Amino acid sequence: MTVINPSSISGITSITMPSGDGNVLTIHTNDGVERFRIDSSGNVKVGSACTISQDGDVFFTGVTTATTYAGSGANLTNLPAANLTGTLPAISGANLTGIAATDNVRTGILDVAGVSTFRNTMNVGAAVTISESGIEASGIGITVANINGTQIGGRRNFIINGAMQVAQRGTSFATVNNEYTLDRFRIQGSHNGAVTVTQSTTSPDGFSKSFKIDVTTADTSIASSQYSQLTYKVEAQDLQNLAYGTSAAKTISVSFYVRSNVTGTYTFAIQQSDNSGKQVSQTYTIDSADTWERKTFTFAGDTSGVINDDNGKGFDIYWNFAIGSAYTTGTSRAAWTANADADFAAGHTANLLSSTSNEFYLTGVQLEVGSQATDFEHRSHGEELRLCHRYYYIFADARDDGSTGQLATGFAYHAGQAEGTIHYPDMRTAPSLVQATGTNYYGAYNNGSNATWNSFSWYQPSPRVGLLYQGSTSGLTQGQGYRLQFANDNAYIHLDAEL
Amino acid sequence: MAYPTNPIYKLLKNPDGVVDCVQTQIGDSEPYKLTVIPFMEDNKDYQDYLAWVAEGNTAEAAD
Repeated sequence: MTVINPSSISGITSITMPSGDGNVLTIHTNDGVERFRIDSSGNVKVGSACTISQDGDVFFTGVTTATTYAGSGANLTNLPAANLTGTLPAISGANLTGIAATDNVRTGILDVAGVSTFRNTMNVGAAVTISESGIEASGIGITVANINGTQIGGRRNFIINGAMQVAQRGTSFATVNNEYTLDRFRIQGSHNGAVTVTQSTTSPDGFSKSFKIDVTTADTSIASSQYSQLTYKVEAQDLQNLAYGTSAAKTISVSFYVRSNVTGTYTFAIQQSDNSGKQVSQTYTIDSADTWERKTFTFAGDTSGVINDDNGKGFDIYWNFAIGSAYTTGTSRAAWTANADADFAAGHTANLLSSTSNEFYLTGVQLEVGSQATDFEHRSHGEELRLCHRYYYIFADARDDGSTGQLATGFAYHAGQAEGTIHYPDMRTAPSLVQATGTNYYGAYNNGSNATWNSFSWYQPSPRVGLLYQGSTSGLTQGQGYRLQFANDNAYIHLDAEL
Repeated sequence: MAYPTNPIYKLLKNPDGVVDCVQTQIGDSEPYKLTVIPFMEDNKDYQDYLAWVAEGNTAEAAD
């Protein structure tokens, strides 16, 4: 090896290594340690920690310091978390993996444009838990504008006596047709069978009563125009918040519990007769014999069918038990469309009247605003009774009050006429006077003279007051006061203002 | 009382001599169910009566 040992060399413009083993250039410090090398492949090495290869790769085993770096960082690995600071650029996080279970995602705002799915329970602080089972909030209130698009609290249910608690007219109705039975519910039909209706104690959990219809005379072949059904009428002014006839018309949901030994397809319908004469109708199936099943329906609001703001009928609701082909051959209507007989019970195939062994139960009837049928809104017996009084009111009933039960303080208008004013809770309209009549069922009594008669007449009734009178009796003393009272334990005075 | 079965309605005069109610009775024996219906247009029973009349029927005259 040639040794050149001046303190400085200048003017050299090219150094060419020899061939063979000598084809390498090294520079050593004075202690003989190699500090710099250009090998035969053109790689440049500084000591043992830095290599610059001819193909552009650079290898350092020490610390690299620079003002800026440019180019791809695709293969950077093991970046220390403490050294990643500053602002993240707008990049995809699609391949983020291994995010630890806690505390690793923190932000002031989580802004998700699409659907977010949380695969497990989600906690908000210590008091709110959102899970697949629902939302639990302990120790705090929940503030929301509405639930299910309507008011949050009670009075969701438009149906009065939906739990079949109230039975002012009686709890058993033999061979009944085209009459109200349990309060607000009317049985009606045109067929060759016969049915009885009772207030039953067979009921789903959480209920104590149900409407029950028993077939006592079968009709195995329902003619085209025949039918058997239960109806409920909703007063029109109570439906104004549905905003029917406007662009804000609200969706409604109907739900009820049914049970029957006759499985199969039944139909349910609502008609709205004000202005537009429209209807919706749907089928439902009783899947299992003698088993309570809850059925729910949702109907979008009717933007064109105005419901009058009055005390007339708003909705007529129907549960069909058996119905002829004139009403079944059309199409079920989930949207409000013009009344058409063929659509009224389209798809109905069950015939409850087919055997005297057949029976059908109904309870938990609810009509509410919103697209979700919610749990039945239970009200107290007293509340339901007061609501029923708008439509039917027992003024007095000797079967409960006794055969000498009092009716009113009266007087003798003349010797042959007794009369007395009665007051009652505001009813829907001036009511009909419904009474038992028979020989000497009613009477007028005082210390001097008495009279009895068979029935009362009804003078100038209003929704809240009317005059009971009997103008064909005798023996009274004109101008004297009398107790008007029952004289038979079957007598009763009821008032009827049903729809 | 012997109650007419056809017609099924009977008109009633009030103490002033004005016909302002109609009555109808059902039942085969005592106690009968007797309904006295005021002439009020939004009374359902009165509407049923008017429908019955519209079918060509006529109620028994008042006493």
